[in-house]
Amino acid sequence: MEITTIKEKVSNVLTTILEHSNFEMSDELTAKDVDGWDSLSHMMIITKIEEEFGIRFKLRELNKLKNMGALVSLIQSKS
Amino acid sequence: MVFNSFDFVTFIIPVLLLYWLVFKQSSTSQNILLLVSSLFFYAWADWRFLILLVISTLVNYYLGLKINKAEEDKKRNVFLYTGVVFNVGLLLYFKYVNFFYEGFYDVLNVFGADIGHDTLTILLPLGISFFTFQTLGYLIDVNNEEIEPSTDILEFSVFVTFFPKILSGPIERAAGLLPQLSIKREFSYAVFVDGLRQILWGLFAKVVIAENCAVLVNSVFGDYQDHPASTLVLLTFFYALQLYADFSGYSNMAIGVSKLFGIQLMRNFSTPFFSTNIADFWRKWHISLTTWMMDYVFTPLSFILRRQQKKGLIISIIATFVLVGFWHGANWTFVVYGLFHGIYFIPLVYSGKMNTSEVVAKGKWLPSLQELLKMLLLFVVIMLTDVFFRASSILEAFDYLRRIFSSTIIKAPWAFMNGTTVMTLLLVGFFVIVEWINRERKHDLEISKFSIYLRWAFYIFIFLLLLLFGRSAETFIYFQF
Repeated sequence: MEITTIKEKVSNVLTTILEHSNFEMSDELTAKDVDGWDSLSHMMIITKIEEEFGIRFKLRELNKLKNMGALVSLIQSKS
Repeated sequence: MVFNSFDFVTFIIPVLLLYWLVFKQSSTSQNILLLVSSLFFYAWADWRFLILLVISTLVNYYLGLKINKAEEDKKRNVFLYTGVVFNVGLLLYFKYVNFFYEGFYDVLNVFGADIGHDTLTILLPLGISFFTFQTLGYLIDVNNEEIEPSTDILEFSVFVTFFPKILSGPIERAAGLLPQLSIKREFSYAVFVDGLRQILWGLFAKVVIAENCAVLVNSVFGDYQDHPASTLVLLTFFYALQLYADFSGYSNMAIGVSKLFGIQLMRNFSTPFFSTNIADFWRKWHISLTTWMMDYVFTPLSFILRRQQKKGLIISIIATFVLVGFWHGANWTFVVYGLFHGIYFIPLVYSGKMNTSEVVAKGKWLPSLQELLKMLLLFVVIMLTDVFFRASSILEAFDYLRRIFSSTIIKAPWAFMNGTTVMTLLLVGFFVIVEWINRERKHDLEISKFSIYLRWAFYIFIFLLLLLFGRSAETFIYFQF
């Protein structure tokens, strides 16, 4: 899948779960930069991404993610 | 040997002189001194368990290397689970075996098998809850490939046994502490003085605030049935302050002492009572434990239950907090304490308002009325829940709370409002104001930017308060955990 498509879909997931779109999608974006993306909404975002792309993450993969760029690459490698 | 003792002063001064003057050549020489002093410090507190600490260090060091070397997942898991069983097993044996043993007999008695039983006498090794969590976290991090395992037994031993944090934390992470031990520490005047400031504030919190509150709490708690509800409410207020000042005071001293050696430990408290919701509170209270639980319990659990959406989230939160409670000790009161805190999260999960600003009234002198009301409400809830922390049984805690919600709540607590109480209230007021002023800073007395006159006026004032109102204290609440 194209990187831009993945980013767009992830952005839509964030907007749906967090109910706002006050963030700029960049490779350096981290959860800390996004209002409402905390440890509690995190799993809901992950679950929604899994549904959207029809993939399954491993916890170990998620623990290693440092930023949006890493998340997008991980999704690409799985879909 | 508690930080606020003459013994500790006579221990730390020669160690510091040796550290910065004699053993300063390399990280290895510095670590040798730290290890020897740490083992001495631990043995001074309780020599009987020194061997246990040494064995735990060696086993975890070996397992870390093995986990890293194992190429197949299956083999890795064998070493990881050996580590989990070893560390959790130690904790269960020394801390909880009596609890389960008594529970087992209680169950038998419920079913009518009336058999008497003795209580096992197992001594609790000091600091066991803290150092086993630290080594357990280390093994999990190595397994998750988040850190490289330590290949230097000396560094690793200091990581486990470093004396400022061995008895009551902070529960350090390998990623934060190990790299600091592998490089030579250079003396920094600014860091050293900052450490002294943090020790001073910790000392004040412990021997002035916590100990004076303790006197009031202990004077009434034993026969609380004889006091009106209004006194009981005041007492829970003092107990909440005592608990906070005791443990945050300890933590500030531990972090401050560590700074004297040029080593930065993690922050453990960040003015938690200045929070507007329960999630915010737990982000600032005993941070080294809550982040540990977050990473190693809540995250895996909520990952497993992620398809259950909010229900899964709530189950994960409650389970995590029950464990947080139970970590404190083998008593049902702690389980209920954790359970209640978990339940308080439910409205937040449903309203989706978890993420609030870290600092209340950022950049302002005073909070808004709404912020103030939220902080007060949260404080009252936490203060009432702390009754479970103090009570010796669940029944006692409920009885205490039941008496609070009675008609004597409107009866003025005159008998309790004596000179000591008023003085303690004033001291608490001063304590709270200083904490409020420093709430955006790195610790509660980070006044390096103040003018030299103001700083010294402050130090002298705190010294005076220590001399006038300080009480000797032989132990800390958290030593029993």
